Amino acid sequence: MTIAEVVREASLEQVGYSSDQCLKCNVCNTVCPVARVTDLFPGPKYVGPQASRFRMGRTQPAQGKGTPRLASPDVTVDYCSGCGWCTTACPAGVKIAEMNSQSRARMKAGKRPKLRDWGLGQTDLTGRVGVMFSPLGNWALANRPVRRMMEFTVGVHHSAPFPKFSRRTFQSAWKRRQKRLGLGSAELPGPDKAVVYFHGCAVNYYEPDVADAAIAVLRRNGYQVIVPPQVCCGLPLISNGIYGQAREKANSNIKILADYARKGYTIVGTSTSCTHTIKAEYREMLDIHDDDAEVVANATWDICEFLLDLHDKGKLDTDFGPLDEDLPYHAPCQLRSHGIGLPAMDLFALVPGLRARDMDHDCCGIAGTYGMKKEKYGIAMAVGAPLFAKVKASGATEAACDSETCRWQIQGATGVRTRHPVEILQAAYKAADAAAAGKVAGGASGGRA
Amino acid sequence: MPGADVVVVGAGLSGLSAALSAAQSGARVQVLAKGHAGTHWGSGGLEIAGPAGVATPREGLKRLAGTRGHPYADLAAEAPAALDWIRAALAAEGLTFEGDLDTPLALAPTSIGGTRPVAILPTAQAAAARPWVGERLIICGVAGFKDFWPDAIAASLSRPRLWGGAAGPERVTAVTVELPGLAGRHNLNALELARRFDDRVWRARAIDLIAAALESAGRGSGPGRVALPAILGLNDHAAVYDELRKRLPLAPFEVPLVTPSVPGLRLYYALRSALIKAGGRVRIGEVIDHVDRQGDRVTAVATEAAARTSTVACGALILATGGIAGGGIVAGKDGHLDEVVLGLPVEAPEYGEWLSADAFDPAGHPLEAAGIRVDRDMRPVGAGGRPLLENVFVVGTMLAGQRYLRERCRDGVSIASGRMATRNLAAAVPAGASRGAWAGVRQ
Repeated sequence: MTIAEVVREASLEQVGYSSDQCLKCNVCNTVCPVARVTDLFPGPKYVGPQASRFRMGRTQPAQGKGTPRLASPDVTVDYCSGCGWCTTACPAGVKIAEMNSQSRARMKAGKRPKLRDWGLGQTDLTGRVGVMFSPLGNWALANRPVRRMMEFTVGVHHSAPFPKFSRRTFQSAWKRRQKRLGLGSAELPGPDKAVVYFHGCAVNYYEPDVADAAIAVLRRNGYQVIVPPQVCCGLPLISNGIYGQAREKANSNIKILADYARKGYTIVGTSTSCTHTIKAEYREMLDIHDDDAEVVANATWDICEFLLDLHDKGKLDTDFGPLDEDLPYHAPCQLRSHGIGLPAMDLFALVPGLRARDMDHDCCGIAGTYGMKKEKYGIAMAVGAPLFAKVKASGATEAACDSETCRWQIQGATGVRTRHPVEILQAAYKAADAAAAGKVAGGASGGRA
Repeated sequence: MPGADVVVVGAGLSGLSAALSAAQSGARVQVLAKGHAGTHWGSGGLEIAGPAGVATPREGLKRLAGTRGHPYADLAAEAPAALDWIRAALAAEGLTFEGDLDTPLALAPTSIGGTRPVAILPTAQAAAARPWVGERLIICGVAGFKDFWPDAIAASLSRPRLWGGAAGPERVTAVTVELPGLAGRHNLNALELARRFDDRVWRARAIDLIAAALESAGRGSGPGRVALPAILGLNDHAAVYDELRKRLPLAPFEVPLVTPSVPGLRLYYALRSALIKAGGRVRIGEVIDHVDRQGDRVTAVATEAAARTSTVACGALILATGGIAGGGIVAGKDGHLDEVVLGLPVEAPEYGEWLSADAFDPAGHPLEAAGIRVDRDMRPVGAGGRPLLENVFVVGTMLAGQRYLRERCRDGVSIASGRMATRNLAAAVPAGASRGAWAGVRQ
């Protein structure tokens, strides 16, 4: 290897290179939610920077021929949930979680993935088929013998939280609506009047209400919504160590979104994990380093981050009606990786009467598809147990969280309906409208609707 | 952007002290820190002042206050009240300490079989500091736990010179206990053991096994104490220690260990909990990208975020970034020292004068005293001694003029400077100085 190649590799593989900064201080092990509850995972330091010397410092899965396939020496890296707390807490800037994800992919590279891991990565495929046969799919997912069978045959835990499939995908519902309104071929409004919406798989196949809320809140603030065709962001594939296919998904999305980004459109997403994947992981984890990837990353915003930015510019409609309720809030791990604080909490503070409270717990346990797996379900439930206890103790009838699988996990474990923050904001706008309508209709004596 | 009255950069003892003090006075406080270090790497005790040759921390304070250029020259008067204040805050979180400024500095065992001078210790470590009056000491280790070797520690502590002329234990012996469910494990770490002690059922069995081992090891001997590694619970520590103390025939004390330091974690989590209850916020994993200024004031702090920076508006900024050891000051290859957040001037010896000729010079190395020079309000000053920025304060090991490792003053300077920096906050943060939203929900 020439010196130029060494330098190029070092700069391309920032993640692997960062292990040189490790002081072996164990701070990462102190914050690992998984190591907290099980001996099956020794902690991020041991399988990450400490094991790096056995991988010749390389962590990225081999891409070209002739690259040595040095797997992780420690198979327990598969018990890393990918929550990212280790990277957050490291005082020396080591990218531990990223290193462990890449090591997992490296371990699995060249082998056929488990049917289960492959399947959990195929959110587009399972979603499309599930929506197509939604009555049957929803019956099956709610049927205990079927779920036991699924656990036995493919290893998806029978109690793992799955939402109901929608009757049609959000994409097709959106196209119908556009057609009905005769907007299909209308000229796009400019980037100051419209945003591109990255809906993600959860909205497309399971949670159209979140899209409705996002669109309503964006419209209220003067933004039309553009929904280009798009595929899964790729995160479920990354989490399951299937990097090759994740890269294909990433490149498809980048190709579609780059045009909009270059025209100045903001890309807004309602899934913190999708938006974080586009912002950071296409480059850091999948090693996609072209201009398009950068332009798209820079244009992508989490919806609460976007709304709070509007507020900062004095452009957010803050005419929220009162919501007289306690609202436990859980900040998902992926939100923390954005490095933007808790924008949802700042937005909730603008809603009169709303008593939002950060549950201040590290991880709900689900970590995407981790907690759905038979051998990890118990770990995931133990990781989230203190959060579930706090949510239940709050006595609230609904909770809020920015990430879909976390919502399903919290709702499944507590029975408390868990919604996206933007749904809460939509309710607050509706409350304002109702109050205004009440005033108009009832004059001075009009009560709160 | 969210807006805070006070942004504190750094989440060690000085940063959290400053943040808690500000939050208690009603300010909206946001802590931003790159990661954990100061607390997690420390012993969990409170070192106020212990330069060589002094008998008590109070005497140490006086000595250091008279040392030219030392932070205590301005802070010594504040230190006793600051210490009382932090102890009350920690006690409210269930973390108690013993000893005070007039407690004689005594030698306590370390986990490598040395001794170190101590006075104010967490309750679970305190029995180590009482004078030895003919008692024996049993060092009790855990099978499979490699951060604490009882036989080596006992052999080392049996040497009278380790006790510095004072009376040591009458006899030091070792015992190793196998704890429940851990047979054959030989890679245990302090944190996982501490978490096991948090479990009531497990610890009842563990404490029985420790008691049985001590009884057979010390049959027929007189009174004594037992040193255990600092693994006695994390979240339920006070109860663990209490149960152990009542059950054992000898007075138990914890010996702090290498990282991850469980006593340090207890300190961090107690302070963090107090801060959150007081309405403060903590964000970890944040690296400062830049700070916005307007004239001689800072107005906002921007951190690195995915694909962009994230900004918090602020009325005042407190730098608690940990000096050279904590990464708040870095050295370039040319020997230039940079303060990483604001580029403040660093007071330091010339490059060639950083180190003493003798690596083990008892006087230490001149570089140790490098840091930021501040005025009485903890504002950084320029060459003329005038504050460079109106609403920036510098605390803890960032302060110039201290050699905290050998002066044993790190915790006292951190707490006192944190208090001092927030004392005149109302003057530094004019009403309406901070903009932006804030989820001011108190827990």
